[in-house]
Amino acid sequence: MMSRNALEWYFQRITGALLLVLLAAHFWVEHFMTAPLRRGDLTFAVIASRISNPAWQAIDIAFLIVALFHGLSGLRNIILDYGRLGKRAAGAMTAALISIGAVWAWWGIAAFRRL
Amino acid sequence: MRYSLRDALRKYRWQFSGMVAWTIQRVTGLLLLAYLFLHVHTVSRLSQGPAAFDRAMATFHSAFFKLLEIGLLGVVVLHASNGIRITLVDLGIGVGRQRHLFWIVTVGAGLLVFLAGAIPLFLFAIGKAG
Amino acid sequence: MECQVTLRVARHPAQDGKRFSEYRVSLEERMTVLDALFRAQREMDGSLGFRCSCRVGMCGSCAVNINRIPRLACTTLVRNLKSDVVTVEPLPHYQVVKDVAVSLAPFFEQWRRARPAFRPRNAGASTLALIGKDSRFRQLAPAKRDCITCGACYAACSITGMNPRYLGPAAINKAFLRLLDPRDAGGEDRLKILDRSLDGVWRCHTQFNCTAVCPRGIDLTDSIVRIKRALLRPGRLFPS
Repeated sequence: MMSRNALEWYFQRITGALLLVLLAAHFWVEHFMTAPLRRGDLTFAVIASRISNPAWQAIDIAFLIVALFHGLSGLRNIILDYGRLGKRAAGAMTAALISIGAVWAWWGIAAFRRL
Repeated sequence: MRYSLRDALRKYRWQFSGMVAWTIQRVTGLLLLAYLFLHVHTVSRLSQGPAAFDRAMATFHSAFFKLLEIGLLGVVVLHASNGIRITLVDLGIGVGRQRHLFWIVTVGAGLLVFLAGAIPLFLFAIGKAG
Repeated sequence: MECQVTLRVARHPAQDGKRFSEYRVSLEERMTVLDALFRAQREMDGSLGFRCSCRVGMCGSCAVNINRIPRLACTTLVRNLKSDVVTVEPLPHYQVVKDVAVSLAPFFEQWRRARPAFRPRNAGASTLALIGKDSRFRQLAPAKRDCITCGACYAACSITGMNPRYLGPAAINKAFLRLLDPRDAGGEDRLKILDRSLDGVWRCHTQFNCTAVCPRGIDLTDSIVRIKRALLRPGRLFPS
């Protein structure tokens, strides 16, 4: 059996590497690429035209999920570092973070439903 | 034994690069998680239709938010460049020369990428480019 | 060349309400911090408490915080500190016994938890085990087995400071040495402890504080990272 902790540690690195690529692309697209964006006019219409492409939708949703995993897993590690939790409390904390992540992801995904 | 804040700060050895890197990673990580919350909060306005969204976005057109945007880039780049350092260490690359790794990857590469992004952003912000 | 340094030594319990005592100590060539402490104790203040034994850097008794870095007092030359003020404090993360002498109890508590004792795979063997020149044990162990249990790494690590349950660098390094050893049979047991998410290797965030302070130059972080990688590919742990 592979260690679950090792797997989480490994995924933290994999998602980190993915975020590196996704964030570079995200910054480039949203902050540098198109003329209206450079002026800061990030309007509904501009986003709607990009999001209408299902590939972009998939990328954005994957981006959110990967970022949430990376961020909440990092938060979990910070909480564990303080060593105040027992085994059960740590399990409950992990479950709570997974639930928060699920709600958070749905919050973001639901933003696209009117586009 | 009771510690004062000064004692607590003294416990940490800021003269060690790895210690500084760890602190950077922790603080920037928490900042980015908080930012992700604000970001999803803003983006979720998309579901309220064009008018509401554009009104919300108008807030971010001030010079203050342009500066914050550059700060955000800085935080992202620091977390990313330091993350690369950590991953290299985890892969067993440069474990024996971690001081060099810190200065070259976290500080050096991070600063280069930050400047490459921040200068155009600054020029856009003051309207000299774009 | 005659010159003086100010030796600031932390006091516990406080002396006349002061947490530090200061001594002007004349500096001699190749004088160590331990020599300075002895000079202060013998010539100025007999109540000064510190611990030492071998005085040549091999017993690990005299580790203290010198100018805020855990080091052995007996191998740290005052001259090399390049400071007129030498501040000596007890190692952090331990209970102070007196002045700058601490109890290493938490350090050895974790040391015990890492199952440091050798458990022979073949106890009744009548022939000597052969360890190949190319084995991981032969390649890695020489640089890892020099630990003198001075407790400096445990004091330098900030994770042990906030999480007393964390095994700490020295205990993990000891377990790593045993894991490497093809003659040892306690691997599974040790890995179970090392893999714990609350207090095992996963609490290490490669700060390198332990490596930076180790008076024997052991790359402790490297040992911890190697165990993490090994836990990722079970069944192929340190083939000899």
